[in-house]
Amino acid sequence: MTLSTPTVSPARVFDPLAHKDDLTAFRAEVRAWLEAVVPADWQTRMTGADEADYVAFQRWWFAEMQKVGLATPHWPRDWGGADIGIRHQTIIFEEVARAGAPGPELFVISLYHLPATLFGHGSQAQRDRYLTGVKERGEVWCQGFSEPNAGSDLASLRTRAERRGDVYVVNGQKVWSSYGAFADYCLLLARTDFEAPKKQAGITYFILDMKAPGVTVRPIRQATGQSEFCEIFLDNVEIPVADRIGEENAGWMIAQSTLSAERGLIVFELSERMARAFDADLAEAKRTDAAWLKDDQLRREFTAAYSDMVTLRLMIRAMMQEVEADPHMGSATLPTYIKIHFSNILRRYTDFRVRIGGLAAQAQQPAVMGGGHQTGNAMHDFILSYAWSISGGTVEILKTVIAERVLGLPR
Amino acid sequence: MTDTETGMDLIALRDGVRGVLAEQASHERVKAFADAEQILDKALWDQAAGLGWTALSAPECFGGLGLGALELGVVQQELGRAVAPLPWLGTMLAVEILSHAGEGPQVAAWTEGLATGTRIGAVSMVTPEALSTDLILSSGAGGLVLNGFAGDLMDGSAADLLILLARREDGKLAWVVVEPSIDGVTPEKIGTVDRTRHLAQVRFTDVWLPSERLLAVDAERVGQALLATASLAIAADCDGGANAILELTLDYLKTRQQFGKPIGSFQALKHRCAEHKIALVASGGLLAEATDRLARGDDEALRLALAAKALCASVYFRIAEDAVQLHGGIGYTWEHPCHLYLKRARLNQQLFGGETAHLDRVAQLLLAAA
Ligand SMILES: Cc1cc2nc3c(=O)[nH]c(=O)nc-3n(C[C@H](O)[C@H](O)[C@H](O)COP(=O)(O)OP(=O)(O)OC[C@H]3O[C@@H](n4cnc5c(N)ncnc54)[C@H](O)[C@@H]3O)c2cc1C
Repeated sequence: MTLSTPTVSPARVFDPLAHKDDLTAFRAEVRAWLEAVVPADWQTRMTGADEADYVAFQRWWFAEMQKVGLATPHWPRDWGGADIGIRHQTIIFEEVARAGAPGPELFVISLYHLPATLFGHGSQAQRDRYLTGVKERGEVWCQGFSEPNAGSDLASLRTRAERRGDVYVVNGQKVWSSYGAFADYCLLLARTDFEAPKKQAGITYFILDMKAPGVTVRPIRQATGQSEFCEIFLDNVEIPVADRIGEENAGWMIAQSTLSAERGLIVFELSERMARAFDADLAEAKRTDAAWLKDDQLRREFTAAYSDMVTLRLMIRAMMQEVEADPHMGSATLPTYIKIHFSNILRRYTDFRVRIGGLAAQAQQPAVMGGGHQTGNAMHDFILSYAWSISGGTVEILKTVIAERVLGLPR
Repeated sequence: MTDTETGMDLIALRDGVRGVLAEQASHERVKAFADAEQILDKALWDQAAGLGWTALSAPECFGGLGLGALELGVVQQELGRAVAPLPWLGTMLAVEILSHAGEGPQVAAWTEGLATGTRIGAVSMVTPEALSTDLILSSGAGGLVLNGFAGDLMDGSAADLLILLARREDGKLAWVVVEPSIDGVTPEKIGTVDRTRHLAQVRFTDVWLPSERLLAVDAERVGQALLATASLAIAADCDGGANAILELTLDYLKTRQQFGKPIGSFQALKHRCAEHKIALVASGGLLAEATDRLARGDDEALRLALAAKALCASVYFRIAEDAVQLHGGIGYTWEHPCHLYLKRARLNQQLFGGETAHLDRVAQLLLAAA
C-alpha cells in the first residue's frame, strides 16, 4: 500500500446535489460525505510525502469529489457543472474547511482558469473536449504565461508561434508554470505578430498538449524546498489550428479572463480555511496555555490579524453577491482588493506564527504536502506566503491597477 | 578606522576577511553546503584557523591575538555578509567564558585549542531572561557528575568542546566544560531551516567529570558577559547580511528590465529601498555604538547590545523579506541566494532570545537606571 491509497470505503452512496433545494440538508450531506471519505490522518500521511505519493493522493481526492459531483459544481450545467449558487458554494467551502479536507491544488488551473477561459472564448468543440476531460478524466492543466523576460510585463512575451497550414509552429521558453511537470495540457500565450504597433495586439492564445514532440519540462526548486513550478521549453512544437482559443492576435484580452479566475473562488476557499486555522490556533493556545496569550503585544497582534480575516471574508461575500446578481458584470475592483488583502494577512499571520514559535519553529520539519497555506509548520507556511504576493500579478502591479483604474490617479 | 586599544586596522581586517570569504564561501559553496545538510565545512574551518580568525579574542599569553569586541564584530559582519557556514561564534564565545576562568593549565590548554582552531567550541544559549538550565551537576566519586539536557547549542554538532551552564546541588549556577565524545553524552543534530547553521541538543546521563571541569567563575556575571557578546555578534551578522542582500537587490533592480526600463525606476520600489537604507544606517549606528561601549567595558554596554540585537535582527528580517518580493519569481527559487539570507535572518531573530525578551530586558535596565 502506498501512502496515497486511502483505506476508507464510504458506508453509503452520497449525493449532496440531490439536496440542492434544501440548504440544511445539502450541508448535512456534504458534511456526512466529508466525514466518510476524508482520511482522518491524511495530513500525517502527506507529511514529507514524495512527489509521486502527493500526485497520486491529489488524483484520488479529485476522483472522490467527482463521484459526488463536487469537483466542478461551480461550472454552469451546460458545461458539465451543477449550476449551483453562491450559497451552495459557501456551504461547500465552509464544510471542506471544517473537515480539514485536502485542497485540489494540482487541479487549480483545470477547475478555475480553464473554464474561465473557455466559457467565454473557447469553441464548442474545445469546451466539449477539454472541460469533459477535466470533469471525467481528471486532466491536469498548467498555465504557460510568464517568460524569463516577461513577468509583470507579460505583454512583452516572445515565445513565437508561426502559422504553417493547419498548424502553428511554436518556439520559445516559459517559466514558473505551476504543476507543469504533471500537466496534460497548458494554457499557452505566444506571439503571432512581432510587428503589431502595440505589443498586446500580437499575442495569441493556445492549448498546448504537454506530450507533443518538442515540449521539454524542467522542474525548478523553490525556497520551500519543493519543486512545484517548472520551466517549459518549446522547440518546433506543432499546435493544430483547432487548438487556438479565439482569433489570432486576440490572446491578450482572453488572458484577462484567465487571470481574473485567480481572484475569485480560489481565495474564497482559502479564506474559509484561514478562518478555521485561526480558530484552531486560538483553541490550541488556550489548551496549552501558550505564552503569547499572556503577552499584551502579541495578543493584540493576533486580534488585529483576526479582525483582518473577518474583513476579508466579508469582502469575499460581498464579491460573491455581486457575481450572483450579475455574473457578467461582477465587480472589477473587489477581486483585486481581496487578492492583496489576502496576501497581506497571510504574510503577516504566518510571520506571527514564526515569531511566537521561537527557536523551536526554526527547526526543519517536513512539509504537509497539499496541506494548504496554514499547516502549522510555521516557517514553511511563511515562505509559501510569497506564492500569493508574487504569482498571478504581484501585489505591486495590482496596487498600481487600483490606483489608476479605481482611484483615477494619472498613469 | 583603527581600534585605539589594540591598534588593529579594522578596514584592513574587514577587507581581508571579505576577500577570503568571497572565494571560500561564495554563494555556490554555501549553497552546496546547505544542499548537503553538512555540519562542518572542514576546509573553510581550517582556512579560518590558518588565517588566525579563531585566535582573534584569546589572550596573547595563550597564543591568541588579544583582540576585542570591535574585531569580533568586524569578522562576524563579514560572515553574515557571506551567510558563511562557519562555527566561529561558538568558538569565540567559549573563549570568552574561559577568559573569566583564570590562567590555570587546563584553561590554558582549552583556550589554546580553541585559538588554534584544533578545537571547535559551543556554549549554552543564554537569553535575556533569568539564566536557566536543565543540567544538574552533583559531586561524586572524587569528581563531578552531570545529568540532564542541554538544548539549542548553536552549531553544537560541529563542536568538540562544550561549555555549559549547570545547576549545583546547592541551587547555584556553574559553568562546566565537557567533551561530547565521552561516555554518557548523547548529542543530536537539529537541522534548522537556515541550513548554513544548525542547533544541537545533548543529553547527559551520569557523566563523570574531573573537578577541574567546573570553572572557577561568577556564573551569573559570565552569563551576562556572554549575553552581551553574543547579542552584539548576532547583531553584526544581521548588519552584514542585511547590507549584502540589499546590495544584491539594488543590483537586480538596476539590471532587471520590465516595461522597457529597469524595475528600479519604479517609485514604489525605490521608496522601499530608500527606507531599507535609512534603517540600515540607523541600526548600524546603534551597533557601532554598542560595540564601542563593550570594547571599552562601559556600564551601559549590555543595554545597548541587547537593543542593537533586537533592532538589527528586525531590520535584517524586513530587508530580506522584501528582497524576495523585489526579485519576483527568481527570488522565490532555491537556486537564488535570497532565501539563504531570509532564513538566516529568521534564525538570527531567535538566537540568544527573541525580540520581546531583548526589549523587555532593555526596558528593565532603562528603568533601573532612571
Ligand atoms: C509560486 C509561483 C507560482 C507561479 N505560477 C505561475 C504559473 O503557473 N504560470 C505562469 O505563467 N506564471 C506563474 N508564476 C509567475 C508569476 O506570474 C510572475 O513571477 C510574476 O508575474 C512576476 O514576474 P517576474 O517574476 O518576472 O518578476 P518581475 O516582473 O521582474 O518583478 C520583480 C519585482 O518588480 C516589481 N515590479 C515590476 N514592474 C513593476 C512596476 N511597473 N511597478 C512597480 N513594481 C514593479 C514586481 O512587483 C516585483 O516586486 C508564478 C510565480 C510564483 C512565485
